[in-house]
Amino acid sequence: MSPARPPIRLQTITAAARTTPGRLGLFTVALLVLCLVFGLASAASLQSRSDALGDVVTSSQPLAVAAQDIYRSLSDADATAASAFLAGGVEPRQVRQRYESDIAQAGTALAAAASAARTSEQASRSVAELSTYLPVYTGLVEAARANNRRGLPVGAAYLREASGLMSATLLPAARQLYDSETARLASTEDRATPVPWLELLVGLLTIGALVAAGVFLRRRTNRVFNVGLLAATVASLLVLLWVVVTAISVSVNVGQAREHGSAQVQMLATARIAALEARGAETLTLVARGAGSEYEEQYGEIVERLGGSSGLLNRARDAIDDPEVRALVDDAMAQLGSWRDAHGEIRRLDDSGEYNEAVTLAIGDEGAGPAFTAVDERLGKAIALSTQRFDAEVAAARSALSWSVPGVVLLMVLAVAGIGWGMWQRLKEYR
Amino acid sequence: MAALQVPPLGVRAVLGVPPLRRVWLLVAAAVLLAGCSVEAAPPADQQVSFRQPEPVGASVLAGPATTTTGPPPAACDVTASLRPEGLLPPEGQMPAGSTMAAIVASGRLRVGVDQNSYLFGFRDSFSGELEGFDIDIARQVAKALFGDPSRIQFVTLTSAQRIPALQQNQVDIVVRTMTITCERKNDVDFSTVYYQAGQRVLVDRGAGFTSLDSLAGRRVCAASGSTSIANLAKAPSKPVPVAVPNWTDCLVMLQQGQVDAVSTDDNILAGLAAQDRSTEVVGPRLSEEPYGIAVAKGREDLVRFINAVLERIRADGTWTAIHQSWLAELGAVPAPPPARYLP
Repeated sequence: MSPARPPIRLQTITAAARTTPGRLGLFTVALLVLCLVFGLASAASLQSRSDALGDVVTSSQPLAVAAQDIYRSLSDADATAASAFLAGGVEPRQVRQRYESDIAQAGTALAAAASAARTSEQASRSVAELSTYLPVYTGLVEAARANNRRGLPVGAAYLREASGLMSATLLPAARQLYDSETARLASTEDRATPVPWLELLVGLLTIGALVAAGVFLRRRTNRVFNVGLLAATVASLLVLLWVVVTAISVSVNVGQAREHGSAQVQMLATARIAALEARGAETLTLVARGAGSEYEEQYGEIVERLGGSSGLLNRARDAIDDPEVRALVDDAMAQLGSWRDAHGEIRRLDDSGEYNEAVTLAIGDEGAGPAFTAVDERLGKAIALSTQRFDAEVAAARSALSWSVPGVVLLMVLAVAGIGWGMWQRLKEYR
Repeated sequence: MAALQVPPLGVRAVLGVPPLRRVWLLVAAAVLLAGCSVEAAPPADQQVSFRQPEPVGASVLAGPATTTTGPPPAACDVTASLRPEGLLPPEGQMPAGSTMAAIVASGRLRVGVDQNSYLFGFRDSFSGELEGFDIDIARQVAKALFGDPSRIQFVTLTSAQRIPALQQNQVDIVVRTMTITCERKNDVDFSTVYYQAGQRVLVDRGAGFTSLDSLAGRRVCAASGSTSIANLAKAPSKPVPVAVPNWTDCLVMLQQGQVDAVSTDDNILAGLAAQDRSTEVVGPRLSEEPYGIAVAKGREDLVRFINAVLERIRADGTWTAIHQSWLAELGAVPAPPPARYLP
């Protein structure tokens, strides 16, 4: 190396390009660069798909489930607390247990949501609000319960305050969290399935350049095949195929997961929460005792939204192709029918002055209570099955990606080695 | 980013670039690095401004309280009502074409009551039944109509709902700690007085408040649409009236420290004090509150019928028995308030 090495200038390169070995050298450098870029782009794209799917499994999906759990269990707690009040001073044990398990479930899900909700401003605000007011809510319910057990009417006032806090603060926050987590799940799903334009472009360019190099060598050196270049071409082709096939299969799996999993879960969860709201309205109509016509209107409106001809259940049923899930939704619709019948009877009894009979039919062992519980359970099972389907599709998508990054890297190392070796064979002939 | 500080010497020799270009290179490297390493910063911890929950519908009263929907009243003889016409008709056999006959034909008497006033109208949380002084009075009316005190459909009302419920024919009568006033007589008719109450003040024991006068500028709770809140708004000591739907909501606010006192009729306060032994009723009676049974306008036959029922229960000891069974805490049973009739 000379002590004052001149910087590489454009003239140096153009001068080199005029001789055959110079051209060969330039070709070699260009091919190596193309191969490296292609390999890096492919590996990065596969890695980001895999990361996105990992996020779906470890973060977005569990969070969406947690948000749905919070929303559902809080709605259920509210409806259950109201029916405990209707039942009188000492509520039936299963009603109390249902309330307690709702609160426990909401607390657990809230902890899960809190640990992961820091990525979104909206979600973390909702979580903070829920964490602040959930203990306040349970405190009010306990004050109501203690007074109810002593036969004091101030218990009902505490229950009204608790219910007001639930519907004005807690449920809207739960709803917001649910919406933002569902939107996040959809956007993470999108991140796993972009069309691989860049990889396609660079890949085709690389393969084109390798073929061009082969043709050039054949013309200049009268040899038919350069084994190194041939190996590099084949390796690049394989990488391109791998990327394209993987992208397609991940898209198909994620599409299936969305259609038969997350979208379906969302529809069913909305229906389940609507059923809970209707139950709450039914109970509060009786708690208000004659002054509850707004709750009754609310019940009618929700049940129509749920079970009407273009209602949530019907739409879910049309969108579902899994026979097992569909059977559950059919069953839920049938149970909703008997719930509506029981509700009609409750209203008839209450409106004709037979209040205690109406209460018995609403919260007793027969009538509206069991019918509502059946609707809730069927929808819960349908949601669990759809979640399983979602998990299975995402797992399939992830397995399509497994080994893809090391595989691509290995193939591209092979391609680089092929280029280097093949070109060196020619270059050294000019020494 | 500490690693990105401009490297000293050496680098120039290796890269072979003059200082100015070196700066551009650094900028390019910084941009590249920023593009791939900076994530969205996690949001700061969320501060939720905590607001202690209040009973649904609680609000500080702004402006004067009104207890009616109509124009201001002309002076009237408050407690005088319509005289009964002879004796009560036999149970179940009401005069043809009368309001009572229509009620009997409907099979039940619809009564607007309270389920939040302990001892007057409240829900027994063990049996689920409504009970109290007002409820027993209403049952006496049902008994006179049907011969059966249980032929009643109770409709629970807040104070503010009483007059609209009568005007919209949701109930036949209202028996709900309702004070007879000239204002209200514009909208509904009243029976003779069946209970004589007076407004006082409920405070926490040991809080140092002795009457409404000592509550100047303090928050004092009463039900919206009641005569009590109207009296609070007019009080010379200028307390801050806080309106809620039900009397028990006032007790909740007192227990949660959101008001310093509750002010209403002494019998309702006695019911609240009975639910919380840490409270006490203090001060003199601020007003006289005669209770009547309210009936929609245009049903004078029903008013006369109810007055006949009240005559009977005053005379035969039923009123005293009802008072004894619910209001023993208020001390010795007084004589029933005398009936006064229009000339």
